[in-house]
Amino acid sequence: MRLASALLGLFRLLVYVFLLAPIVVVVLASLNAGNFLTFPPQGLSLRWFFTFLENEVFLRAIGFSVVLGLAATAASLVIGTMAALYYVRHAKRRAESVRIAILMPLILPEILTAIALLFFFYEVGVGTEYYIALFTGHVLITLPFVFLNVVTSLQGMDEMCELAARSLGAKRFTAFRRITLPLAKPGMINGALFAFIISFDTFGISYMLKGTGSAPLPIQLFDYLRFNFTPEAAAVSTVSIILTLAAVILADRFFGLKVQRF
Amino acid sequence: MSGLFRRHFLILPAAALLFLFVMLPYVNVLVMSLRAPSDSTPYGEGFSAGGYVKLFSDPYYFEALGQTLWLGVLTAFVCFLLGLPIALHISQASRRWRGLLYGIVLSPLLVGIVVRSYGWTILLGNTGVINATLRNLGLIERPLPLMYNSFGIVVALAHVFLPFMVLPVLGALQGLDPAVGSAARSLGASRFTVFRRITLPLAMPGIQSGAILVFVLAVSSYVTPALVGGMRVKTMTVMVVDALIDQFQWPFGSALALSLAVSAGVIVLVFARLTRMKWK
Repeated sequence: MRLASALLGLFRLLVYVFLLAPIVVVVLASLNAGNFLTFPPQGLSLRWFFTFLENEVFLRAIGFSVVLGLAATAASLVIGTMAALYYVRHAKRRAESVRIAILMPLILPEILTAIALLFFFYEVGVGTEYYIALFTGHVLITLPFVFLNVVTSLQGMDEMCELAARSLGAKRFTAFRRITLPLAKPGMINGALFAFIISFDTFGISYMLKGTGSAPLPIQLFDYLRFNFTPEAAAVSTVSIILTLAAVILADRFFGLKVQRF
Repeated sequence: MSGLFRRHFLILPAAALLFLFVMLPYVNVLVMSLRAPSDSTPYGEGFSAGGYVKLFSDPYYFEALGQTLWLGVLTAFVCFLLGLPIALHISQASRRWRGLLYGIVLSPLLVGIVVRSYGWTILLGNTGVINATLRNLGLIERPLPLMYNSFGIVVALAHVFLPFMVLPVLGALQGLDPAVGSAARSLGASRFTVFRRITLPLAMPGIQSGAILVFVLAVSSYVTPALVGGMRVKTMTVMVVDALIDQFQWPFGSALALSLAVSAGVIVLVFARLTRMKWK
């Protein structure tokens, strides 16, 4: 019995190591002073970070990803919160079908959705111009995350609160602004954070819909990795890890994230 | 009319978005897969079922379909084996530890899929961390084939999608009152019996949805097979992208993608039916 639980403990430890290993390895590889990704590293250095800082392609890709992520998050925050309010309050008998419909982009294979959107935008004549297709794709795949998070925080809410406020003379909009919105806020913040991270990291949609202009960071990184083996890619990856972490920590500082569950 | 509008306007933007950019495009893909191929343009005039015939008559494509689905099943199973003990551990951990462990489980999600797959290529490559360490220790002479094969792909996919198994199981275990286990133990049940009769049935809905999520994500993933498999293991997604982007054959690419989606859907339905029958 003792042995069994010791083995179980060891197994769990190995799984945690398994989860962290690739991330740790990427960060360590970015500090490699050598010209190639070798192990053990040939000394420590930040030179690949400086190489990266001079590489306009990656810097532009990061900037593009941030802007795209913010725009897509803003759109799906509005649409997703409205849908969540509808789902909790008005959907009634249709609730289950509403939920499934909104989760569709999450359930359907992303690469298939990407292909479908690519054809669709070509057939209506827009193609991949002006980043319309890319933006639409990002809104679609981030929407379920906003919806899920807002629904979670609204579900405990008593509809009576808003009714009580209205019976005490509050206008419909005041009741919404002072009662419903604050209740939905934690879910909206979590949802927005999820949405931004998903948009920042997504691949399939961006790969298919990126067009000829600027490309988001994951695409640039992927194209680079297929033909290059210098530690610069590791430096870029490390920067992207730090950016995501910073977003999470800042959000936690300012809004106090709650650990959400699916 | 205005009452109807007021009640439903909240869902209008989402409904319009989903109708325009999910419903219509998917119908369009279905039509596209039945269009006639062409050498000079993405698709020709008229219709043909040639794409599907090619897929099911050419063993090359048919085997790739089987291989892709098999990799998905394997990945889901590995995630189940690794994820269940972790989910149980976190659900029983003290408050202070829970945050940290939760962070470790979520950490892969915070790191892009390209970066994670890249991390695995550093670990698994012929001159990678694992092979270099083993060689320096004198345990092996030639590098073990860890990458550019199905093994590497399943390992990397399991890592990438493990959070999607752990999170639903954790959610399902939320309802588990530790007192129930203690009660069963005090009535003479063994630890294993408690696990089998109480914990596992409670976790089952989570395992079910986790397995489905992981399977679907694994089957439709592109980056990991492309980077860790190095294009040497032909998966359906790699071939779909090849047909669409490099060869510009939209009808055939659509037929490949739809066949993958439909066969994955059938497996999910069969799995859901089987597990529900057993556990309810």
